[in-house]
Amino acid sequence: METADMRVTVQQDAVSERDVAATLKKKSKVGETLIQGFLFLCGAISILTTVGIVYELGKEAMLFFFSTEGVTVGGFFTGTAWQPAIQQFGVLPLVFSTLMTSTIAMLVALPLGLATAIYLSEYASQRVRSTLKPILEILAGIPTVVYGYFALTFVTPLLRSILGQDVVQIFNTASAGLVVGVLIIPLVSSLSEDALHAVPQALRNAAYGVGATKLETSLRVVLPAALSGITAAFVVAISRAVGETMIVALAAGAGPRNFAWGDIVGNYSATPFNPFTSAETMTGYIVRISGGDLSYDTPDYNSIFAIGLLLFVITLGLNVLSRRIVARFREVYE
Amino acid sequence: MADQQKYYPEGESLAQQINRRHRNGSIWRYLFLASTVIAIVVLIALLYNILNQAFGLVAVQTMIAPDSLVRVYNEELMISASNTTTSEDDNVLVEGIVGDENGVGFFGYAYFLKNNDHLRTVAVDGIAPSANTVADGSYPLARPLYIYTTAEILAEKPQVSAFVDYYLQNSSEVIGDVGYFPAPAESLTASLSKIGSPASINDAAGEILIAGSSTVFPLSQRIADDFQAAGFAGNVSIESVGSTAGMRAFCVDESVDIANASRPITQAEREACRANGREPLELQVGNDALVVVVNPANEFATDLTSEQLTPLFSSASSWSEISSAYPNQPIDRYIPGLDSGTLDFFSEAAFGGELSDLPKEDLIQILAANISVGLGRRLERDQRFYDDTLIFESQELWNEVCASDEPATGCTLPARTTDDVYRLVLERVVEPQVVETWPLLNSLTNRSEIIAEAAVEHPDATVEFRSWLTGTFVTSPQSSEPELAGVRTAILGSLWVIGITILFSFPVGVGAAIYLEEYASKEKPINRMIQTNINNLAGVPSIIYGMLGLAIFVRVLETFTSGAFLGTADGSTANGRTIISAGLTLGLLILPIIIIASQEALRAVPISLRQASFGLGATKWQTIWFHVLPSALPGILTGTILAMSRAIGETAPLVVIGASTFVTVDPTGPFSKFTVLPIQIYQWTARPQAEFRNIAAAAIVVLLTLLLTLNATAVFLRNRFSMRS
Repeated sequence: METADMRVTVQQDAVSERDVAATLKKKSKVGETLIQGFLFLCGAISILTTVGIVYELGKEAMLFFFSTEGVTVGGFFTGTAWQPAIQQFGVLPLVFSTLMTSTIAMLVALPLGLATAIYLSEYASQRVRSTLKPILEILAGIPTVVYGYFALTFVTPLLRSILGQDVVQIFNTASAGLVVGVLIIPLVSSLSEDALHAVPQALRNAAYGVGATKLETSLRVVLPAALSGITAAFVVAISRAVGETMIVALAAGAGPRNFAWGDIVGNYSATPFNPFTSAETMTGYIVRISGGDLSYDTPDYNSIFAIGLLLFVITLGLNVLSRRIVARFREVYE
Repeated sequence: MADQQKYYPEGESLAQQINRRHRNGSIWRYLFLASTVIAIVVLIALLYNILNQAFGLVAVQTMIAPDSLVRVYNEELMISASNTTTSEDDNVLVEGIVGDENGVGFFGYAYFLKNNDHLRTVAVDGIAPSANTVADGSYPLARPLYIYTTAEILAEKPQVSAFVDYYLQNSSEVIGDVGYFPAPAESLTASLSKIGSPASINDAAGEILIAGSSTVFPLSQRIADDFQAAGFAGNVSIESVGSTAGMRAFCVDESVDIANASRPITQAEREACRANGREPLELQVGNDALVVVVNPANEFATDLTSEQLTPLFSSASSWSEISSAYPNQPIDRYIPGLDSGTLDFFSEAAFGGELSDLPKEDLIQILAANISVGLGRRLERDQRFYDDTLIFESQELWNEVCASDEPATGCTLPARTTDDVYRLVLERVVEPQVVETWPLLNSLTNRSEIIAEAAVEHPDATVEFRSWLTGTFVTSPQSSEPELAGVRTAILGSLWVIGITILFSFPVGVGAAIYLEEYASKEKPINRMIQTNINNLAGVPSIIYGMLGLAIFVRVLETFTSGAFLGTADGSTANGRTIISAGLTLGLLILPIIIIASQEALRAVPISLRQASFGLGATKWQTIWFHVLPSALPGILTGTILAMSRAIGETAPLVVIGASTFVTVDPTGPFSKFTVLPIQIYQWTARPQAEFRNIAAAAIVVLLTLLLTLNATAVFLRNRFSMRS
């Protein structure tokens, strides 16, 4: 409406129609180009963000690797002790703890998330679905620090009362992992449900037509057809679990669990693979070090960037992998 | 044949197979449903846990009981009053008053009885002390005396049963000898019926253990002597340790059979007794009364009100100040000393008063007597106590401070109000501290057990129900004391940060979405790269954004983010760890979310709308601005609000860029240092003390309420706009 009004006004004031057309063209061209340029800049900020992340993390990580006493790239990736005070910089204790919490989280989120997705997509009536989905959305919208509180003040005491006070420490990866699992259930279920939903109804009808039950249709026809989407969902969920910070920072413990390779066979409970002892993850370490009083250009400060870069590479790799899976194995239905 | 039977079953086996498949189907169906329900159960557990921690019983212990603060203050007034002679020896007091016609004093009734020929008692509030006025409770300076035992002890130990019976039967006769009044006859009869049929004194043997009040001690001792004289063969042990310690020995340690008390049992003590299976029987054995006495030569002071007693034993120096009817003669006071229980009793009974009722002057006196001069000076510099005089600070120093470049706030503010001083006394002197807390569910179901437990573990604490989420919690700044801490600075910090975040990410995000949807040609590699990049950024862990923010906004752009380029930075915030750094970091974090949501909203706008606009001759931008954007707005707004709630709940990136751990002043602008709600929750949760967990739960309730409000707004916007379009 307003556009038309403007035109009318402009025409009344115009001296001759040709002049108006010329002015308009010129004016709008400059304006439009400026606007387009601005909008492009907005889009380019995202590129700048990525560049900034890679550059800054990379720069500080290089400082850590090449100008900190006692740090070698090989030692960083294969060392089993993280003790900056005595110049031991082996990242494996942190990586294995992250592996531990993420594995526990996936053991929770994978079956529960997938089962929820199948129920919502294949079984639930419209009414049930419209009740359950908002609840899952609420679960997804709760801040992670609240989940961390939940892990520390509810799940840990629960584990300790079930398994024994002397078995389960106050800070442990099991509690953190379980709650991270709960946190990513909505992610797994919503992405998987989208994948299941995209499977054409004709496939289901065909299965029913040859006498399959609902379960057989869901598990043997719909699920395989949506497999690429579901796998992609799992991979994204792993990436989310690896990068999750507040839950592990509050519940998993503050202090890397250093170990010796021999312990994995001989003294299992002293390794980060014991789920009931405290073990600091990569994200937990970054939060603890940066939350303290930290002076720039110290080994501690630079080390968080090295670990951050590793974390970034892992999660980015997982996200790219997830996209690849979708792109490559996607079943296309006409 | 076997294969055919397997794949194409008939008859009975076909029916079996169908049944099996259906059974499997329904089993799995329930498994799927159960998995879905688990998520809901967790959500309920999470909310339950928060409410459980945010409310519940607490045991509050004070450094000094407010009552005793008042009592000590009053005693100090009495002791330090002019013309006052104090002595622990009652004979000194009696002699003093006898020899001084202006003398006045008080002591236990027993000592008056011994000297009633040369002393005269004064009626209080028109009631003269006598057995009757004391027994019916009308005489103000009297208190009942009790012994406590239980039905089980009476049944188990015949010697105790016989003793208690003897006590109640005989106390009235001998109580006058030890200086107290007998209990009312009805009360004694009721007590006798409570203990049932007693054992005979001759059957009884063994030990009787008694502990408690020093006031009841002489009475119990006298009864015990008589009891033994009457034929009791066993031993009676009586300890004079005070009512409270006696109750503790009786209820908690269960080391005595009878507790002596000069006050009724408290609720907490009763619960503590019950926790050990002891249901205390309360038996009144007499009354204690103080008498105010004067020299018989004093003929005017015959009746005093309790209000007159206060100046009589503290501020007044002449009888005429007590009443205009009295002559202008000096008052000479003879009172028991500080070690005497009589002084305590008189102070409570005659002066009384709650801490909160005291006038400002008295409160300031109490404060001054109990805090260090250094602290007093600090408080006075914050705000003066009186407009005209100084309490802690010297006048010269005060003038100097007020004349300096940075005068203290006390130089300009009006004097503190009575309420304010009262609050200071509570905070600094009484210092109520939560010593233990119990979760809500436990508090509701096990109330009496908790009270009993608290009476054992924290005998001086009072147990009360507390909501950690209160109006004061929302409006108070941060504090290192969990009882006084609040979230105001955190809420304001969150609002400031989120404001900056939205100002940055909304225009940029929508702009990027418009570019990608309306302008960018999908063929150009740069555009494809931007799109892929945005999708990847959405998956980057938030803590990485924190590190980016730390490197870029806090360090590289420090002159900008600290406000130094405007010259507004003060020394404490000049390190770039400011609201604007936090806001921009979170802005980058939610940018991909806003872009993706806006792209979807723009994509949903039908192409015909654009074509119609172009057809009328509108330029591309006019088409977008006037037609595409308004249609896409509900979707864009919903996405933005969801992104906002993500940003409000984010903790990790803000910890990394260095949110302040302890901020007590409100943020004043984008260059202030800051704390936000999630940071506050994180820090409180990470502390080991239970009370910090409680306030963390209360802060979580505040945070979730904020998020709920935002999300409700999103739903409302979506519904409203989609109805219109």
